[in-house]
Amino acid sequence: MLWTVDPASDEPLYAQLVTQARLAVTRGDLTPGERLPAARELATSLDLNVHTVLRAYQQLRDEGLVDLRRSRGAVVTGTPADLTAVEEALARFVAAARQARLSPEATTTLLQEELKR
Amino acid sequence: MNAHHDSPAPTWRRRARRSTLWSTLVGLGLTGAAAAVVWSRRDQLPDQVATHWGAGGVPDDTMSVTGMIVVATATTVGLLILFAAIGLAWGSSASTRRTTAAAAVWSGALGASLLLVTAGFQRGSDTPDTATLPGWALAVVLLAPLVPAGVAAFLVPGDPHQPAEEPVDPAAPRATLSDSERAVWIRRVTGGPGVWIGVVAVAGIVLLSLLTQLWVMLVLAAAMAALFAAMFAFVVQVDSSGLVARSALGWPRARIPADEVLSASVIQVNPLGDFGGWGWRVGFQGGRVGIVLRSGEALLVERSGGRGFVVTVDGAAEAAALLNTMADRARSDAAS
Repeated sequence: MLWTVDPASDEPLYAQLVTQARLAVTRGDLTPGERLPAARELATSLDLNVHTVLRAYQQLRDEGLVDLRRSRGAVVTGTPADLTAVEEALARFVAAARQARLSPEATTTLLQEELKR
Repeated sequence: MNAHHDSPAPTWRRRARRSTLWSTLVGLGLTGAAAAVVWSRRDQLPDQVATHWGAGGVPDDTMSVTGMIVVATATTVGLLILFAAIGLAWGSSASTRRTTAAAAVWSGALGASLLLVTAGFQRGSDTPDTATLPGWALAVVLLAPLVPAGVAAFLVPGDPHQPAEEPVDPAAPRATLSDSERAVWIRRVTGGPGVWIGVVAVAGIVLLSLLTQLWVMLVLAAAMAALFAAMFAFVVQVDSSGLVARSALGWPRARIPADEVLSASVIQVNPLGDFGGWGWRVGFQGGRVGIVLRSGEALLVERSGGRGFVVTVDGAAEAAALLNTMADRARSDAAS
């Protein structure tokens, strides 16, 4: 799978990794039993401190999405979910926002406000 | 700024000619020297020498000394022609030149060890009927040629770093990354029909060694099991440094620096039609090096120096787009 981090983003680097792994598990891009890359390798490729990656893996473990074992590294345990309803609702939401001529920034803010409720 | 700017023919052809020439001569020399030794001692050998053994190492076929030398030499020459042709036609990547040079030296050493071992233990005997094949003989014949072959592989120089002089193909796909965003794409490739071929081959050799009670053949089975284990599980990784495809055992490994990438794209691969089989391969088309584990979707990387690399992997489109973007970045890093 594709892992990205953007140091220019407000979201902490470890949290960016957690978000991607979480989404990949939900979508079924990461399947149960699959191994995540070795923390050292991911850190080297993304020019990160290895502790940043380990922190992300620990968070994923705390959320019950991976199993951390000394011998095998991080193994995916989380199972995919059906996102069809969410994706359909999102498409309708974006279409409605465009129709109302809302800017992408305003649309995102609306979504974030709704999430906080 | 580079010397190969003004030479129209790719420089790999010169390297391929050099490694093919010396490895063919060494292979020919090894078998030729063994043939000369056997011929010079022919009065110490029976008129008909045993050349084939059945179960329990009992000879079941014989040949004249001249016949044996002719057959061994002709086999070696045939193999040398085959490997020279592959090396000259498709040796654009160092790994291919290395493999064909090793195979040529191996062929010559195999011819030599066959002649020397077969003749060696029949010296002084009058009839071939008593020439029982000792168990170690087979091990020597099969394993000894691997030593000079390994040396030959080591002696073939690797490809020099050849940064591409032209930009990445503008029509090739790109990843949507912001300038500050870093990315890595990692995917494992395992299995495919090659695994089953390997399992059947290893099981067959184990069975054969049980039936014939030639226990040295278990060594061969173990070597083949290790080879198949190395060939049929790979990790493919694309990041700012370029592409790495490495066996789960750590070796073999292919590495393509981002600044040598001309274009990455997705192709459909037919293992038998395009590469003649599964595993680490050289392709029929322009000597592309391939890690071919199954048919279908594959990542194709066109690389400086007339080289090409293919790996069958799911999600190849994502990998190709990221590699093109990383190749763009390597160009602009070099320019700044």
